Amino acid sequence: MKRIEEQTYYEILEVSPIASVKEIQRAYDRAKETFHADSLAIYSLFNEGEIKKIQAAIEEAYRILMDEALRKSYDQSHLQTIEKEEQESHMEVEGKSPERKGPLSFTDLSIHVEEAFYRGKTLKQIRERMDVDLKTISTETKINTKILEWIEEEALEKLPAPVYLKGFLKAYAQALNLEPQKVIEGYCQLFKEEKRK
Amino acid sequence: MNRTQNNDRKIIWTFGGGKGGSGKSFITVNIGIYLAKLGARVILIDADLGGANLHTFLGIFPPTLSLSDFIKGRVSHLHEVLLPTEIPNLQLLTGAQDLLNAADVKSVQKRKLLHSIQSLQSDYILIDLGGGNSLSVLDFFLMSDGGILVVTPEPTSIENTYRFLKSAYYRRLRQSVSSHSAKSLIDGAMDQKNEMGIQNPHDLFKEVRRIDEEDAKRIVEEVENFRPNLILNQVRSKKDIEIGFSIRSACQKYFGIHLHYLGYIVYDQDVGNSIRKRRPLVLENSRSRAAQCLTEIASKLASRR
Repeated sequence: MKRIEEQTYYEILEVSPIASVKEIQRAYDRAKETFHADSLAIYSLFNEGEIKKIQAAIEEAYRILMDEALRKSYDQSHLQTIEKEEQESHMEVEGKSPERKGPLSFTDLSIHVEEAFYRGKTLKQIRERMDVDLKTISTETKINTKILEWIEEEALEKLPAPVYLKGFLKAYAQALNLEPQKVIEGYCQLFKEEKRK
Repeated sequence: MNRTQNNDRKIIWTFGGGKGGSGKSFITVNIGIYLAKLGARVILIDADLGGANLHTFLGIFPPTLSLSDFIKGRVSHLHEVLLPTEIPNLQLLTGAQDLLNAADVKSVQKRKLLHSIQSLQSDYILIDLGGGNSLSVLDFFLMSDGGILVVTPEPTSIENTYRFLKSAYYRRLRQSVSSHSAKSLIDGAMDQKNEMGIQNPHDLFKEVRRIDEEDAKRIVEEVENFRPNLILNQVRSKKDIEIGFSIRSACQKYFGIHLHYLGYIVYDQDVGNSIRKRRPLVLENSRSRAAQCLTEIASKLASRR
């Protein structure tokens, strides 16, 4: 009983987590056909809003799963249970568990943050050096790209109240594999500076 | 006394959903014959309210003995109203509509009938439920080992099938929960215009979880175990075949259930010809394309034992 927004990309496309690119393509074609606005199989079950939501979820799932790198990082962050099951079976065979990785881990990238705290442009720099676009971060964190942009631009007047902003910063930091607390503290310095002016 | 012990393994399949004319009776009879020809003992039960006519598909004249004789006590055991057919191992029972669609059907009576059916001596019992949507029909659908929905690739047929499935689904959930408040939430959910804002099974689940965690667990369990089957009849193109997959997918997303797409039967002139001749297709023209589709579905069912 998972709502569409709670389902993994694999569940949305109804494929196994080890599905091949070909299988994903086929599943996507089928899903697109099924949830097409004129489809006979849906109009008497779902309302327009629900159909739009499912369509968007299918597109998003397809976009991520068809991109090798995006899929890999998605798997690392979202398929923990499957990983765990695999881990258990691996353990039986090899007697050890595979390494666990955090979300969007770009371990080979070393980024030196010279500044004492994270500003918007620091975050942007880090993101660009990782070669990740905002849309990916948005998918990963479920934060609107507009808000991410504002964070990067330090558009303080547009940003939501600090209590919400902290949540966004935390998620963004995690997506970039940075320490959330440092990012939040650093970024909030901006507000203090602003006040002093 | 010729009643069987309940320990022999028998399988009950019910054919329902959709509307009249989707081919339920045709499919029930032909699958039954196929199974009987494999050497299994098979009983066909006609519970079609739109017009019981399984006998016609078998080339038998309107039967003199029916389920009514059992219900009204003219015979004491259900097996006494079984009719033989020209196919060895295949028996027919007609007239269940008397009970299934009576407005005042008592649950005691219904249970008695279900029990009697379950104690019939057979390997397979195939029940043609027809297009009915009454509570008794739903209960028959739900009590069987497998409920099979017969649909044609047309909006009307699909719409009716969903309506049927929705009723069966909510009825099953309603029977599974124990708290009164969860039951009334489900009653509310069945009415699309309910005031609680429950638009779909997901909304219902959320509400139930809010009031009763135990009942929410039961619902999850029921949804997981509710696995109806689908046969798509009268398909004319590859695109039609795909509709079966679309229905399966829509059911997964809407109800959260696993609908098993058993197979499809192609539109075939030979079907009409066999019905007009009152000769079952799998006997009359076993090499026809539709008969081959039926055979494939029946063998899938047989392998599920």
